[in-house]
Amino acid sequence: MARTANSRLMLVILAAVFAFLYVPISVLVALSFNDGGLPTAWTGFSVKWYGELFRNADVMSAAFNTLVVAVVSTIFATLFGTLLAIGVEIRRRKGRFLETIIFAPMIIPDIVLAIALLSFFSMLNVTMGLHTVILSHVVFNLAFVCSVVRARLKTFDWSIVEASADLGASTPITMIRIVIPVMMPAIIAGALLAFTLSVDEFIIAFFTAGAGRASITLPMQIFAMIRFGVTPEINALATIVMAVSVIALALSQRLNRGGLPGQ
Amino acid sequence: MKDRRPLYLMAPALAWLTAFMVIPCLLILALAFFRRGLYGGIEYTFTLENLALVFDPLYAGIFLKSAAIAGLSALIAVIVGYAAAFAIAAAPARRQPILLFFAVLPFWSNYLVRTYAWIVLLNREGLITGLAQWLGFDGELPKLLYTESAVVVGLVYNYLPFVILACYAPLSRLNPEIAEASQDLGASAWTTFRRVTVPLTFPGIATGFVFVFVLSIGNFVTPALLGGGQFQMIGNLVYAQFLTANDWPFGAALSMILIAIMMGLLTLQTFASERASGAKREDS
Amino acid sequence: MTQALLSLKDIQKYYGSARAVAHLDLDIQENEFFALLGASGSGKTTLLRMLAGFETPSSGQILLGGEDISRLPPNRRPINLMFQSYALFPHMTIAQNIAYGLEMDRLPKAEIKTRVDEMLEIIQMSHLARRKPDQLSGGQRQRVALGRALVKRPRLLLLDEPLGALDKKLRGEMQLELKRIQSEFGITFIVVTHDQEEALVMADRVAILKDGTLLQCGTPHEIYEHPQSRYAADFIGTMNFIDGVAEADGLRAASGQPIHAPRPQGIAAGDPVSIAIRPERLKIGAEGFDNTVTGTVVATAYQGLDLQLHLKTDLAAQPILVRLTAQDVDDTPLSEGSTLSIGWAAKDTRVFKA
Repeated sequence: MARTANSRLMLVILAAVFAFLYVPISVLVALSFNDGGLPTAWTGFSVKWYGELFRNADVMSAAFNTLVVAVVSTIFATLFGTLLAIGVEIRRRKGRFLETIIFAPMIIPDIVLAIALLSFFSMLNVTMGLHTVILSHVVFNLAFVCSVVRARLKTFDWSIVEASADLGASTPITMIRIVIPVMMPAIIAGALLAFTLSVDEFIIAFFTAGAGRASITLPMQIFAMIRFGVTPEINALATIVMAVSVIALALSQRLNRGGLPGQ
Repeated sequence: MKDRRPLYLMAPALAWLTAFMVIPCLLILALAFFRRGLYGGIEYTFTLENLALVFDPLYAGIFLKSAAIAGLSALIAVIVGYAAAFAIAAAPARRQPILLFFAVLPFWSNYLVRTYAWIVLLNREGLITGLAQWLGFDGELPKLLYTESAVVVGLVYNYLPFVILACYAPLSRLNPEIAEASQDLGASAWTTFRRVTVPLTFPGIATGFVFVFVLSIGNFVTPALLGGGQFQMIGNLVYAQFLTANDWPFGAALSMILIAIMMGLLTLQTFASERASGAKREDS
Repeated sequence: MTQALLSLKDIQKYYGSARAVAHLDLDIQENEFFALLGASGSGKTTLLRMLAGFETPSSGQILLGGEDISRLPPNRRPINLMFQSYALFPHMTIAQNIAYGLEMDRLPKAEIKTRVDEMLEIIQMSHLARRKPDQLSGGQRQRVALGRALVKRPRLLLLDEPLGALDKKLRGEMQLELKRIQSEFGITFIVVTHDQEEALVMADRVAILKDGTLLQCGTPHEIYEHPQSRYAADFIGTMNFIDGVAEADGLRAASGQPIHAPRPQGIAAGDPVSIAIRPERLKIGAEGFDNTVTGTVVATAYQGLDLQLHLKTDLAAQPILVRLTAQDVDDTPLSEGSTLSIGWAAKDTRVFKA
C-alpha cells in the first residue's frame, strides 16, 4: 500500500535528519570521556579531562566572568522586560513603531549590534570591560524576556485584576499580589532563557569586552581555544557548556509550555 | 488597570533600548557617510565613498561569494528542514511534540560548540578520516575541513532546527482534509504536495530561507572556524574593518548593506507569503 | 431487480483490535438520495471514508457498478466527497477551486472553462468567481464545496455532515437546494449525518448505524412509523416509552394496566418489554380508544400550531409527552394541575424487547 510506503519514507527522513543533528555532538560528548583523548581510538572511560579543565586558570576565570555577566544582565533584563511586557499589553493602542523597537533586538544580526555598540562605547570614551558586556547583553535579553512574558499575558484573565480592585486593593498591591504571582512561571522561564542566551553569547561580548584577559568570557575563551584545533580539554568544556544550556532551556520550556519565541 | 498609563512600566526598557540599541545603530548609519581619518580615526565630512567602495570589484566579489554560500546554505537547510518538518507533522499527533523538541534541542546549545563539533569530525586526525582508514582506504582523502563545503555544512547544521520549527508551524496547522480533498478530486500524492501543501505552507519556507540567508551572510564565526580564514564573507569583512583594518566608516557601510538586505528580504517574504497563502484581500 | 450502483458486501473495519464497522451489507441504487444516520462513534464516518478511499476495509468488498473498488486509491475513484470542513483550497480562487478536479482529469483548457462557468452558474457564484474562500460566507463556501465535487460528474457524491456548519435558517434552505440539485444532476448522493431530522427531510432512504452495525434501513416513513428497535425508535423523532412485561394473553404495563398492542414475534411470556407511542398519536378523551390513561398536566408549552403537554400518569416514571393541534384543545381546559384523560389505538403502539 502507498500508505505504508509513505510512512516508511517519513521514518527514513526522520532517522537521517536526527542522525545529522545528533551524531556530531554525540561524538564530541563521547570523546570528552575518552581516556586517551584521541579521536580515533577509544582507550577507556575517564573524567580526567574534566579534572584538567578545573585546573585551567584561564577557563575558570572566563567561566566566572560569564557567570557575572549572565547573572547581572538577567536580573536587569527580567525586571525591565517584564515591566515592558505588562506595559505593552495593557496599552490600548498598539503602535507599529513600538513593536518594531521591541522586536528589533531579536532579529538584528549580532554583528551589526556588536559593532554599533563598539563604536558607541568608544566614541563616548567608555573604558570597555565586563560592565559594557553586561549593558549590551541586557539589550537582547530584555527583548526575549518581554516576548516570553507577553505570550503568557495574551491568555491572562484581566478580570482577576478588576476583581482585586473591586475587593479594595490598590494598583501596586494588585500588581504584587495578583499579576506578578500569576505570571511567575513565565517570568522565570524568560529569566532562564535570558541567562542561557547570555552564557552562550559570543559575538557581542567579543566586540564590547575591550582588550585584556580580565574581561574574557567563556565563549570568547572557547573561540580562542578551538582556533588552535581539537583537544580533549575543549571536548570536556564543550560538553559542560552544552549541558548547562540544554538543562536551563528545557527547564524554561517546562515552566512555560509553548511560550518560547518562535514556537 | 487597563486604562492606567503604561508608560511608567515601559520607561526603563525603552530608555535602555534607546540608549544601547537605537542610538548606536543610528551612529553606525551616520558613520557610514563619514570619511576615514588618516590614522584610523574618523573625519567628520560627508562622503559616499564608503558605500561606493562596497561596489568595488574586490568587495563586490566577496559580496557575491557570501551571497552564493548563504544562498546555498539556505536552500539546503530549507529542503532538509521542510522534509523533516513534513515527516514530524505526518507522525502520530501524540509523538509530534517530543519529535519537535528533539529537533530543536541542538539549537539551544552553544553556537561555537556546535561548530566545533564539526571540526572534531572533519579535521585531518578526525573521525571521518579515521573511519575511512579503518575501512581500508589508504589514499589521501580530500581536504574536508577549511573548505567552502565545510562552511556550508556548518551553517546548515546550525540553522536547521530553526527551519524545522518555521516549516512545522504552518504544516501542523494545515487542515488534513484539504490534502484529502485534493486526492479526492483526482490528484496524486505528488501533485497534491506540489499544488496544495507547498503553496499553503510557503510562509514557513520563506521565513526559514530568509533567516538562514541573513544569518549566514553576516556570519563570521563559521567561516573563521570551518573555513579556516581561507575566504571571507561579509561578516569577516565587517569584523576586519573594526578590529584589524580600523576603517570604521567602511565597516559601518557594510553593515548598513547587511541590514538593507535583511529588510529587503523580510519585506519580500511578507509580500510573497501573503500572495501564496491567499490571505490578502482584493476586495470585500 | 436491477444491479445496485453501490454494493457493500460484509464490510468490516478494525483499528487495532477496536472494531469500527462490523459485517455491513448495504445496496444503494442509481439516483438515490441516501442518508447514513448515526450518533458519533457509530461508524458512519469510517464507512464514508472507506467509500471515498481514505480508509481500506479490513475485510469485505465495495462494489461500484459491479466492480470491486475497495483497494483503489481516492484519486482513482469516480466518487467525490464534500468534506465536513469543506476543505476549500485557501490559496486558490473559487473558479480555480472548481477547475482543480477537472485539471486532474487532464481535460482540454476550453472544456474546463466551459464546465467551470456552467457550475458557477448552477451554484449561483459566478459573480464571486475571483474571490478567495476566506472572503465568502459559510453558505457560499458550502455551495463552492458542492460545486467543486459535482463538476467532476462523479457516479457517487458523498456528503459529510453537509449542513453541520450552517445556522438553522440556512440549513432549511440548503436541504431543499441539495435535493433540487440531486434530482437535476441525477447523481447518487450519500449523506452522512447525525441529525435525524435532516436525514428524514432529504433522503429517499435512511440507514441507521449503531456501534458499527446497520440497525435498520428503509424509507423515512418506514423508519419513523415502524422502527425495529428501541434504539431506532428513540433516535428518530420523539417517543414515549412505557416499561412493561409480556404475558400469555397480551401486555401489561409496570403499573399493572393491560396494554392493547400488536405483539411482535420473538417475545415470549414473561419477557420485559418497552412499549412505545409517538406523542402525536395520543388523543384527548376517555372513550373509544384501545388504550386510555388519566393523569395530571404538569407542564404545557406552545410551539406555534402545536401544543405540547407533559402528563404525569401511573404508566411511567417520566411524564408522557402529548402533542396536540390547536383544534384539539379548543374546548378542553388544559391548565397545569388539571386532570386529563388520553387514549390511543393499538395499531399505533410499538413493542420492543427491553
